[in-house]
Amino acid sequence: MDDELREITEPFAYLPHVKAGAPPTGGHAHDGAIETVREAVHRGHRIVVRTSYEIEVDGRPVSGHLGVANDGRVHYHPVPNLSFASAVDMVKSLIDTFPDDFDGGDGQGHGDNGGDHH
Amino acid sequence: MAAIRANILTDAAARQSYVDGVLALKAEASGVLSSSLGIPGPPRDLATYDLFVVWHHWAMSLFTPPSQGDRNAAHRGPVFLPWHRFMLIFLEAQLQRVLGNEDFGLPYWSWSDDGELPLGEQPQSPLWADDCMGSDGDPAQGFAVTSGPFSATSAFQVNLAADSNGVLRTVSRPLRRRFDVALGLPPTGQLQAALADDDYDEEPWSTDPVSFRNRLEGWVPAETQPHLHNRVHVWVGGDMLPSSSPNDPVFYLNHCNVDRVWSAWLQDATGPLYLPDQFASDELFRHRIDDPMFSIFTSDDDDRWTPRRMLDVSDTYTYDNLTLT
Repeated sequence: MDDELREITEPFAYLPHVKAGAPPTGGHAHDGAIETVREAVHRGHRIVVRTSYEIEVDGRPVSGHLGVANDGRVHYHPVPNLSFASAVDMVKSLIDTFPDDFDGGDGQGHGDNGGDHH
Repeated sequence: MAAIRANILTDAAARQSYVDGVLALKAEASGVLSSSLGIPGPPRDLATYDLFVVWHHWAMSLFTPPSQGDRNAAHRGPVFLPWHRFMLIFLEAQLQRVLGNEDFGLPYWSWSDDGELPLGEQPQSPLWADDCMGSDGDPAQGFAVTSGPFSATSAFQVNLAADSNGVLRTVSRPLRRRFDVALGLPPTGQLQAALADDDYDEEPWSTDPVSFRNRLEGWVPAETQPHLHNRVHVWVGGDMLPSSSPNDPVFYLNHCNVDRVWSAWLQDATGPLYLPDQFASDELFRHRIDDPMFSIFTSDDDDRWTPRRMLDVSDTYTYDNLTLT
């Protein structure tokens, strides 16, 4: 593998690929409501649960990609290592994790990184 | 000769080389302008180090397949371990280049060792000393790292960061950390439970199955806490939380240990080393054993870098110790 690695890690040899690499989605911010779909099959019956979230903080929309697992836990793409018992807990974590996006308030974060482990 | 990856807390030479190499990659202009990649914010000349931040963020933004919102091209699915091995091999090669040392091996942070300490003692680990990764963030300074080689007073600046809507933007600010002391680092018991799981992964290839990959990534057992890899990200906090987490050099120490755990599992595996195979649905593209893994450093038609290729890397590197207690 060494020779192949050296070939593609030469300074600037990779530049043409970097500039072509952006995935077509370019992120997952939504303009309006965030829709989630949960699907399952139970005794041959197909279950579909669609949920719509409209989330605001101080009137400002929160619009990243949100998902809901079949056990009801919420995950939010911008904090990828966490899952939450509720969307409210998720938003509390965002306020703590992204202080540049949520100025004002009383500045009293709850002192951890969010999630529902407390 | 294969590089040897060592424990950063016991190998002073590896520790210093890693710090020096990261600073060199952070100081090296890549020739890529942020605006040329469509990244919003004031245009910035990106460092070579920053390109790894872009790579990770883009991989995380690429849902596989796009019709669902869970599994992406590097996480929450089977490719989690080989994709990050691929990323670390690339970074290691770049560090070897700027260090002028073909034998340099990435060091790892054996976080479960620190996870056995009382919660209040974990932040006192030598990992956070001035000659290693530096300090926790300072609440009085917006959780900026205030000591060590990557501190606010050094030349180390964060140039790209994902925002609360998951959009990668240019920024210019110090590195941030916010230790979640009450959570605690992963204890050894979690590690042993993962290693005892013989199944690499299983359907539906998401965060649901109880499998070795899901245990090590940190999604199961589905309790109220993150586990192993995820827990380390959450414990360090700050810039280790968003999809731009490779901003913090601790990212690579965490993933090098994750990779070491995978190496130990592979060494003792009795069943299939990787799943799904290539007969699985096209919906699993980027996760099947012979699929090309998503990369910004190779062309789209370069199909050499597959999960299968990552199963035996003994010609590239080895670990000094695969005994995980």
